[in-house]
Amino acid sequence: MEIFIGFLCAVLLTVLLVQIAKARELATAVRADHNEEYEVNKLQAGMGVVFMVLFLVACVVSFIYYAPYVLGWGVNTAASEHGPMVDSLFNTTLLVTSIVFFATQFALFWFAWQYRGRKGHKAIYWSHNDQLEMVWMIVPAVVMTFLVVQGLQAWNTIMVDEGDHDIEIEATGYQFAWEIRYPGRDNMLGTKDFRKIGGKNTLGQDWTDAKNIDDVVASDIYLPVGKKIRVRITAKDVLHNFYLPQFRVKMDAVPGMPTYFIFTPTVTTDSMRRRLSASPDWQVADKQDDTKKRYETFDYELACAELCGKGHYSMRRVIKIVSQEEYEAWLDKQEANSTYMSIVRNLTDEEKAKGKVEDPFASTTKGELLFEKLVAIKDRVNTQLKSLNDALIVAKKAKNAAEVTKIEAAIVAMQAQQRIARITNNLEEANTAEREANRIASQVMQANLTTTDNAVIDSTAVPLDSTANKIQ
Amino acid sequence: MATSTVKKIHPKKFALWIGLTSIVMFFAAFTSAYIVRKSQGDWADFALPAEFFYSTAAILGSSILLHASYKAFASEKLALFKTFLVSGFVLGLAFVVLQYQGWLSLNEVEIFIHTNQHSSFIFMITGFHVAHVLGGIAALLFAMVYAFLPRYQATTPRRLLRLEIIFTYWHFVDVLWIYLFIFFMVQQ
Amino acid sequence: MADTTILEKDLHGAHAHGEHGHDDHDHHGDRYQSAFIDNYMFSMDHKTIAKQFLITGMFWAIIGAAMSIIFRLQLGFPGADMSWLQPLLGGWINIDPATGTGTLSQEFYYALVTMHGTIIVFFVLTAGLSGTFSNLLIPLQIGARDMASPLMNMLSYWFFFLSGLVMFISLFLNTGPFSGGWTAYPPLSELPQASDGSKAGATMWIMSLVLFVVSVLLGGINYITTVLNMRTKGMSMFRLPLTIWAFLVTAIIGLLSFPVLASGFFMVMLDRTLGTSFFLNEIYIADTALTERVGGSAILYQHLFWFLGHPEVYIIILPAMGIVSEVLATHARKPIFGYKAMVFSILAIAFLSFIVWAHHMFMTGMNPFISNIFVIFTLIIAVPSAVKVFNWIATVWGGAVRFNSAMLFSLGFVSMFISGGLTGIFLGNAAIDIQQHDTYFVVAHFHIVMGVAAFFGMYAGVYHWFPRMYGRFMNEFLGKLHFWGTMIGAYCVFGPMHYLGMAGVPRRYYSFETFNAFSEFDAMNQFITIAAIITFFFQILFVVNFFYSIYKGKKQTEMNPWEATTLEWTAPIHAGHGNWEGAIPHVHRWPYDLSRYEDREFIPQTEPLKEGEKDGGH
Repeated sequence: MEIFIGFLCAVLLTVLLVQIAKARELATAVRADHNEEYEVNKLQAGMGVVFMVLFLVACVVSFIYYAPYVLGWGVNTAASEHGPMVDSLFNTTLLVTSIVFFATQFALFWFAWQYRGRKGHKAIYWSHNDQLEMVWMIVPAVVMTFLVVQGLQAWNTIMVDEGDHDIEIEATGYQFAWEIRYPGRDNMLGTKDFRKIGGKNTLGQDWTDAKNIDDVVASDIYLPVGKKIRVRITAKDVLHNFYLPQFRVKMDAVPGMPTYFIFTPTVTTDSMRRRLSASPDWQVADKQDDTKKRYETFDYELACAELCGKGHYSMRRVIKIVSQEEYEAWLDKQEANSTYMSIVRNLTDEEKAKGKVEDPFASTTKGELLFEKLVAIKDRVNTQLKSLNDALIVAKKAKNAAEVTKIEAAIVAMQAQQRIARITNNLEEANTAEREANRIASQVMQANLTTTDNAVIDSTAVPLDSTANKIQ
Repeated sequence: MATSTVKKIHPKKFALWIGLTSIVMFFAAFTSAYIVRKSQGDWADFALPAEFFYSTAAILGSSILLHASYKAFASEKLALFKTFLVSGFVLGLAFVVLQYQGWLSLNEVEIFIHTNQHSSFIFMITGFHVAHVLGGIAALLFAMVYAFLPRYQATTPRRLLRLEIIFTYWHFVDVLWIYLFIFFMVQQ
Repeated sequence: MADTTILEKDLHGAHAHGEHGHDDHDHHGDRYQSAFIDNYMFSMDHKTIAKQFLITGMFWAIIGAAMSIIFRLQLGFPGADMSWLQPLLGGWINIDPATGTGTLSQEFYYALVTMHGTIIVFFVLTAGLSGTFSNLLIPLQIGARDMASPLMNMLSYWFFFLSGLVMFISLFLNTGPFSGGWTAYPPLSELPQASDGSKAGATMWIMSLVLFVVSVLLGGINYITTVLNMRTKGMSMFRLPLTIWAFLVTAIIGLLSFPVLASGFFMVMLDRTLGTSFFLNEIYIADTALTERVGGSAILYQHLFWFLGHPEVYIIILPAMGIVSEVLATHARKPIFGYKAMVFSILAIAFLSFIVWAHHMFMTGMNPFISNIFVIFTLIIAVPSAVKVFNWIATVWGGAVRFNSAMLFSLGFVSMFISGGLTGIFLGNAAIDIQQHDTYFVVAHFHIVMGVAAFFGMYAGVYHWFPRMYGRFMNEFLGKLHFWGTMIGAYCVFGPMHYLGMAGVPRRYYSFETFNAFSEFDAMNQFITIAAIITFFFQILFVVNFFYSIYKGKKQTEMNPWEATTLEWTAPIHAGHGNWEGAIPHVHRWPYDLSRYEDREFIPQTEPLKEGEKDGGH
């Protein structure tokens, strides 16, 4: 109903304006009377100046008002290492263009006012000035050169791919979500083939490639702060774009043509939340959950930035930037769900037959794959650590200070072994870590430990992946 | 009314040349895309069918004959003009038929437009070229109608211009084919 | 082949005496006494064809703008009930059975966005702008009776009409019109499984645009030939008004770039229909791996598209620039400042426009090294553009400015071109583009330069040459109202979008609710939508003014109402075929002798130079 009334109003307003227009036209004197023309000129030129002032003021005011939202300013400084380069280039360009903007807008409207047609005023026949042309050709050219040089330096630094990244993950866009694959312990992504996509193998991972064994298609995205991350970006069906606004990361995802973006996150999610908490805009209640403040529920988000169909606007994933320790802890939990393990290795024969799934490593007994062994070792070390933690609780309850100190020291030592067990891809290293873990545990838990079967350390098995990957 | 003489190219002829430029850009786009794609690797090679060699001869021949017909028309040798015109037209048709036969030959060795990138480009580019040739065929038909209707038997500047324009277009699609043919050969 | 000596009277194209029966237009100056169909519909008179382009362009502008209002309603008021649109949009409004609330379907949102872009860029700003003014002004300003080939000219319009008809029909398809963006990137545009709009809608969209390319080429061939071959005596190249320079160069750019677009579209059609894979590689969609569709590259399409796409924006802006130069000079009563520099900057822009296309592709994953070249040339192209802005401002300086609607829109053009052009400098720098690509910052940029500035040039042209077209004036009150409403409105619509972009908000999003990062701007989006609706209303005022004035506008009583120097004002008020009764005037001087002498405020180009008088501009 309102729409109809609004429409009717518009029609009536139009009719009214047309009537006014007709009346004014009739009232205009013959063209030869210039005075009226001069009045019009004065009014219009005056309006021009008023407009110019209001316009430029509005630019400044809106700028100040919206500054808190602009990525790159205030609390929104970039959360990546290369981000500030992008932002400073933006700011430099903004400074330069603002000067030109204000100067030319002012000149345009001011001259229009100053040189409005009025009584006794004639135009000046000034047709050209070659020196002036040179000046305002060379000055912009010099300024552009400066921007180009700075810009290309930034661009080439950001886009260079020297293979020195710490971690490579893979992002695969499809209608309408992202699949993020982690490379696992071997820090290498296994090959995939779109022809193999099917059933639960959503990426078409090629199981004959051992690098795939430890790859995990994760339901959360955790990344460690301060590490150089190479994102291998692909797509399944149409063009998508991997866009991380706060990190200044953006790159198209093209089916059949992997692209990349390399960045180093510098601000953890928690740090960012702390930073945002200082801003009044972020201290308001969260829209979805008013028991929380807006900064408390802040998360980095992954969005799609290339039109991909009707769900283009809904391809959201959360990215959590955490400390290295938290990252490793998280990876630990993901490991058991490596895609290969969950959709190939761990299926019963029945399930395999039903899903027509073939395990290229079926000939290797369950538990004998390098990966399985490493995971088993890690699990056992984890168990050791857990026991120590339990013992610590007991000791604290018993207020046994000496015991507490001893256990705490052991825990620290054990954590070091846990770390190795978590990230190593080398069986010997893992075995050593387990031995060490056992030693630490046995030192502490003489009385409390139940006899564990010392894991049979199998040194005769040939590691499937002999390239040991050490974490730096 | 002023009647100053201006010695320059007739606007319609000039317009044709401008139009030909746009056709050049059209095929330049295709051949550039060809080069870009080829340089990316994964490119299956195959020989061009023999028919394309014969068709090249046909279209060259047709241009020569049509040029002769123009000269004949200019010298008011109307019988000769018509003979050359018709034979040029026939050779032009032969070109189209031979191109089609060439495609069929490729099909016989299991090379279709969708077989691989190389074949896609070959079929597409030759296909669009033939489409432009068919435009020339239509223009030649037009010329032949005028040639044989009793009304239009005298040589006038207007008719000479019309013929010139039609034949220029024809020579263009001929030269275009030569360029494409050599391009394909060089890329093998 | 031998050149034939041409008599001037034979330069009339279709006017030559000959065997053509019914289209023998040997009526130099007579009123054309023929049926409606010949006179109006299939007219071969350049002035009528110009009006056909203009009115068809206006029709499409209203549709394109209305589409933008509908999708702005979705963006500004996402939860609002849109069921009242159902009578118009039918199945594209989803009605929730429980609440009765209507929402715009996502698919159709994207169809609207796609159609809006396609319609405005091609039908309005290319055909409607170039088609109108090139046709109207080229013969009149260079001193020719009509175009080199009036037949081709007529065909140019009717191919445009046909193209529009196909596009219009596509709006009513069951699966909907094309919805893959006006850029139509594959694989989305090639795979029917990817989107409803990529079914029949995409095919019709491509068909429509192929017809459109034919229209542009036919027109362009004519414009180039006419300007280069049919200028009247004394009209040397450097005596041409800047409008003609602009239209000529625009036509050349179009001639060289539109065929490449056509080639890209044909390749898309082959992919869609004959199983080729020019732009497809390793696709898995709708639970199927397209194992036969390998080897292609989606990026290749983008190269072909943008090879036109970038020159296209200059095809849009150059005619507007030419018009503005002309209107500014005429109504400031001063020569355009730096005429030669303006000509050279047009040429420089045209040349450079061919080597910057991949600045639309910085984030496609193409080799980053290539981007260096495109950054350099893109920032270079800012230089001739800057020169033009400074020259326009210098034209106003020292003038005696007449503030009529045409002049206001020309001044507004300069303001808008400054604003929109400057943001291009950000985007042309690849590193900045990492962040700004595909955000509202880009949307703000191209709307201000194209959607506003180019439109302002068009409006300036319509107001200024309305008397030339219809022998009447448009109403000045409505015109000024139109100007101020649009000037303020346009800045209100597109100004805030810069901040959205700087906040990282992506473009082509149906809604922002999914993302915390992008959902803080409800108030701003509402503001933009309301501003857009109000601004749209002001355009309706223009349309009303336009049609009303054709019949009831103040009559033009003198041949040269603006006291201009150029040739189009030397033809009679309701000029018939052949424009001038009697001989075509000769030209003796450049077009900018305004306020040159104390006692003469303007000297028409037709007036011979006095003893010892130098031709201006040298």
